[in-house]
Amino acid sequence: MDTTDWLIGVDVGGTFTDLYAFERTSGALALHKRPSTPDNPAEAILSGLRELAEKAGFEAGTVGVLAHGTTVATNALIQRTGAKVAVLTTKNFRDLLEIGRQVRPRLYDLKADHPHPLAQRQDRLEIDERIGAAGEVVTPLDEGSVDAALKALRDGGAKACAVCFLFSYLNPEHERAVGRRLAEEMPELSVSLSSDVQPEFREYERFSTTLLNAYLQPLLNRYMRHLKSELETLAPRARIGINQSSGGLMSPERAREFPVRTALSGPAAGAMGAVHSARKSGRPNVITLDMGGTSADVTLIRDHEVSTAFDREVAGFPVRLPMVDIHTVGAGGGSIAWFDRDGLMKVGPKSAGAVPGPACYGHGGAEPTVTDANVVLGRLSGRGLLGGAMALDTQASHAVMKPVAERLGFTAEKTAQGLLDIVTANMVRAIRAISVERGHDPRDFVLMPFGGAGPLHAYGCAKALGIREILVPHSPGILCAEGLLVADLSENLVRSQRFPAIPENHEAAQRLVDEMVGEAGDWWRREEIAEERRSLKLVVEMRYQSQNYELQVAVPVEGLSARLPAMERLTELFFEAHDRAYGFHNPDDPVDVVAVRLTAIGRLPTPGAPTPGPRATTTPEPVERRNVWFADEAPHYTPVYERDTLSPGAVIEGPAVIDQFDATTLVFPGDVARVDDALNLMIEVET
Amino acid sequence: MTTSTTIDPITLEVMASAMRSVVDETFIALMKSAYSTNIKERHDHSTAICDRDGRLIVQAEMSLPIHIASMTGLMTSVLSKVKLEEIEEGDIFVANDPHVAGGTHLPDINFAAPVFVDGEILCFVCNIAHHADIGGMVPGSMAGGMSEIYQEGLRIPVVRLFRRGELQRDLFDILLLNARIPEERRGDYYAQIASAQLGVRRVKEIAGRYSAATIRRAFDDLVTRTRARMRLAISEIPDGTYTFEDVMDDDGLGTENIPIRLKVEVTGDRAVFDWRGSAPQVRGNINVPVNATQAAVAYSLKALLDPDIPNNQGVIDCCELLTEPGTIVDCRAPAPVAARANTSQRLIDIIIGALAPALPHAAVGASNGANTTAVFSGTDPRNGKPYLYLETLGGGFGGRNDRDGKDGVQVHITNTSNLPIEAIETEYPLRVVGYEIIEDSGGAGTFRGGAGLRRIVQPVGHRCTFNGAGERFTNAPWGVFGGGRGRPGRFVLRSDGEETRLPVKPSGIEIGPDDQVVVETPGSGGYGDPHGREAEAVADDLASGKYSADFARKHYPQASTGATDPAAAAE
Repeated sequence: MDTTDWLIGVDVGGTFTDLYAFERTSGALALHKRPSTPDNPAEAILSGLRELAEKAGFEAGTVGVLAHGTTVATNALIQRTGAKVAVLTTKNFRDLLEIGRQVRPRLYDLKADHPHPLAQRQDRLEIDERIGAAGEVVTPLDEGSVDAALKALRDGGAKACAVCFLFSYLNPEHERAVGRRLAEEMPELSVSLSSDVQPEFREYERFSTTLLNAYLQPLLNRYMRHLKSELETLAPRARIGINQSSGGLMSPERAREFPVRTALSGPAAGAMGAVHSARKSGRPNVITLDMGGTSADVTLIRDHEVSTAFDREVAGFPVRLPMVDIHTVGAGGGSIAWFDRDGLMKVGPKSAGAVPGPACYGHGGAEPTVTDANVVLGRLSGRGLLGGAMALDTQASHAVMKPVAERLGFTAEKTAQGLLDIVTANMVRAIRAISVERGHDPRDFVLMPFGGAGPLHAYGCAKALGIREILVPHSPGILCAEGLLVADLSENLVRSQRFPAIPENHEAAQRLVDEMVGEAGDWWRREEIAEERRSLKLVVEMRYQSQNYELQVAVPVEGLSARLPAMERLTELFFEAHDRAYGFHNPDDPVDVVAVRLTAIGRLPTPGAPTPGPRATTTPEPVERRNVWFADEAPHYTPVYERDTLSPGAVIEGPAVIDQFDATTLVFPGDVARVDDALNLMIEVET
Repeated sequence: MTTSTTIDPITLEVMASAMRSVVDETFIALMKSAYSTNIKERHDHSTAICDRDGRLIVQAEMSLPIHIASMTGLMTSVLSKVKLEEIEEGDIFVANDPHVAGGTHLPDINFAAPVFVDGEILCFVCNIAHHADIGGMVPGSMAGGMSEIYQEGLRIPVVRLFRRGELQRDLFDILLLNARIPEERRGDYYAQIASAQLGVRRVKEIAGRYSAATIRRAFDDLVTRTRARMRLAISEIPDGTYTFEDVMDDDGLGTENIPIRLKVEVTGDRAVFDWRGSAPQVRGNINVPVNATQAAVAYSLKALLDPDIPNNQGVIDCCELLTEPGTIVDCRAPAPVAARANTSQRLIDIIIGALAPALPHAAVGASNGANTTAVFSGTDPRNGKPYLYLETLGGGFGGRNDRDGKDGVQVHITNTSNLPIEAIETEYPLRVVGYEIIEDSGGAGTFRGGAGLRRIVQPVGHRCTFNGAGERFTNAPWGVFGGGRGRPGRFVLRSDGEETRLPVKPSGIEIGPDDQVVVETPGSGGYGDPHGREAEAVADDLASGKYSADFARKHYPQASTGATDPAAAAE
């Protein structure tokens, strides 16, 4: 009998599909990277799994968990390849989705518009009904108008339909009644109700989220069915988890119902991986820097928790759902340097991408990029990337840097350093947006760079922000796949109801919580989560009665029965949050509760620390020495180490370069890097 | 200045990035901690850094174009009233008056806080927020019917709200007592104070990395480079004299069809905007202080020539104006100015109209040209408390050289969000009965104009008062290069099954629980000959219902026949 139990994390990116595998009883680890198959992402998953199983010597049939981060939804939104979709909405409001917030995306640009809604005006059909601000029925649902809309739906040929009524977050009955008619009379149609997708205040954001969901449903439905049936043959024991933008997993059935929840699935996995890696090194507060070819994602982790945001735009449309609070900036290895009309130098957001890529890739890139700057400074090895599989043309990098240097009257190296200073400044602005602008001091955090380009650029960001420690994880190029393996199953519940935070309302508020605890119980049973693996997270959204931006107030939960503290205590917690965010609070002004959020969690088994490889030692020898420019005018003759020769306890004093399969780390002069027991590299930054 | 003393383009970009970070952070801090809907949801506020000479150095990305005028206006007033050596660390100046303190209307409260480095003033951190009420004759301080600035609210000259870090309670009490809903005002003032203090801290952090002298050098370089960039853009306009004229509907007090005339003289890298010949200032509140006229010119140059140019003194320096004091574009005390934004919109239409022949690829049809304002006030029967709901609605954006105009959107000088219907009905005893795009309101054209919006509002269970301000309600927005006119806007009262057209600037209209106010905003003008419109595009408009069959037959005969109908073309 086979007793192995493998857990697999699969992250499907635009270029590579990464797999991270862990065996629960032995603690064995295996990694695999293969090209993605954008036309049918499942193909790379299935062949990747077969290749990995063969490489690591296990039977795919013994896989117990397969966690999957997908970009299918994101790509469909960017490329507009979702289904033909219709909307049923409250009479006299079919234009709401088109008007949006009536603003222009760019103040001074006479040509820039927000994108046209995914449903055409003639496919936005009106139903005679109306719910009022207290949830009361103002106009009863007119079945005749439903009949007419159904006929128009059939004639229009839509494959999916969003049902979006005003105030349905308070009273979903009309939406549900229409949903039932659609299920009965048009069973082949994919239907999304706004009261199911995100039962929250603010109609445009709710409708937009619901429309996106409907638009994605037919596509995700096909993809999930295909993936599931293929996996049933290859890995019949595997429980499949799909990563959500909030950083928790859901079942494929849930993903088919709520595909919009996967819109930021990929970056969320990176954040989960970062939490896990930092925990192993005992670091609760982390700012992550995930830098790839075209952009950098930054996010903030406090007390081992990733911060959450609720308002995001995806492909130009607002989405209101809990999502990992990620700030993206157009700063990657392929970002191109250029001179603006006033002569100031800029870097990005235009990127050379994977094709042609930076000049040093030798595929015809003719403009200077961030990667070329690193080549010019000797920071990237001329031996190439991916363990030498991908050669770098250093001459080409010098050639594209030359005209820029001449214009500035600088040396090529000083120009390259300047280029990196600008890209660093752009990333620093993004990090400030998620830290100082939210009331957090970056100096209290560790900087964790990952992705192919992160560890090359961490030093500059740390210096600019006063951060004293950099944590480079064991496998920075594959952290997203690792993150999928450590994610929990989760379900986000919400009650959007506004009332004063006064003692008289405590009972009603607790009732909302209790309702959700009941729903959490149903979900745990449905997902077959054992009792000891269940937990809850409770957050109350509050604001001053006259404010419109709510703050998240986390409420500690004991066991599985979530109790709200007394309103006085809750208000104190709100004041603390207000102080943190804005630097003041007014103790006399009335405070409202706006929404109560409960997250039900089902913990899955997680991998432990990786074990050092056979070549690892505490006294590693450099594989070469070369000239590398750091912050000074002259190069340092710098030792280069290979990451897999470093075992726990190894200490490397800067200047040094540490190479690994898909990332390069710099240790600046004066800094010291230590390898800890989790095989993470901890760099002390000299201040 | 020699090149050896300037900062290299890399270091300067890194420093500029740090300063942009400060103004964006203070913008968000102000937005999130403010109390009034106007700031928190509609983002009617701006933040900036000015140097110690009062020059605008950097403005938050989401700052409103019209606020560019008040920022520099306030600084000019502060520096002319107070000597630099009399300003102390911890002082915060506040002002709003358009006639003596560089403001553009009273509800915009301007703040400026000096930043001291090594005992010397390095710069000022500034912010502006539009308060929902500043007292005066009418709730909201914005409605028509006022004939002098004294009726529009509390006039604040340049005064110190903070001295050496101490809040001046006496003054603060005066500010609060003179506005309706003082609790909300206090919250908004606190938000502005916190934003200013945050900005001071952040600039000091930058001064910890670079010397004060280097930062001052950077201020100079940024302004110089931007000015050169703007001059370069102006030199791309063919030399010549360009004229245009348009009229304002009315001033709400009986003066109608008020002309505004412009002559632009372009010579090399200079453009002079000569507004002389425009109407004298009017009794109603649509007069424009001259620095708001300058802001309209700055906006237009940027939008037509170089939308990505940084917003700093370098742009303002290129805005050369000729005006006659006492006219509608350069009004003097005691002219009322509350609704000056409507006129600002018109000034921009006129600048675009004048320069259209020179810049055919950048020009657009006249947009809804208004800041259509609807204000409902009364007592909430649910709790007995007074309420005031103010909203400005978008309309059509003019047709463009390569695409249709946008339907139902804020244009030019304003970009404030609407308030969610679920927020309106929760906060106020009102019901929004409909919210839609108006059929046939976008002017015909090769690229049609954007459509206007219709919003219908009804009080719930009580009687309330409606005040409004419209423009382009009698003079329709024009098209360019043969494009047709858009539909004008209007206010309508529905009562007992009858529709009554209200004045363009209605004041004190009493409405009951069975009445409805219909707000219809103007559409916009088209771009190019309607006969050039592709038949497929007209078919789309018919399918979507944005054009009726009648309208299409009249303006786009080619759509049904597939060829140009000479009879209709002659029409």
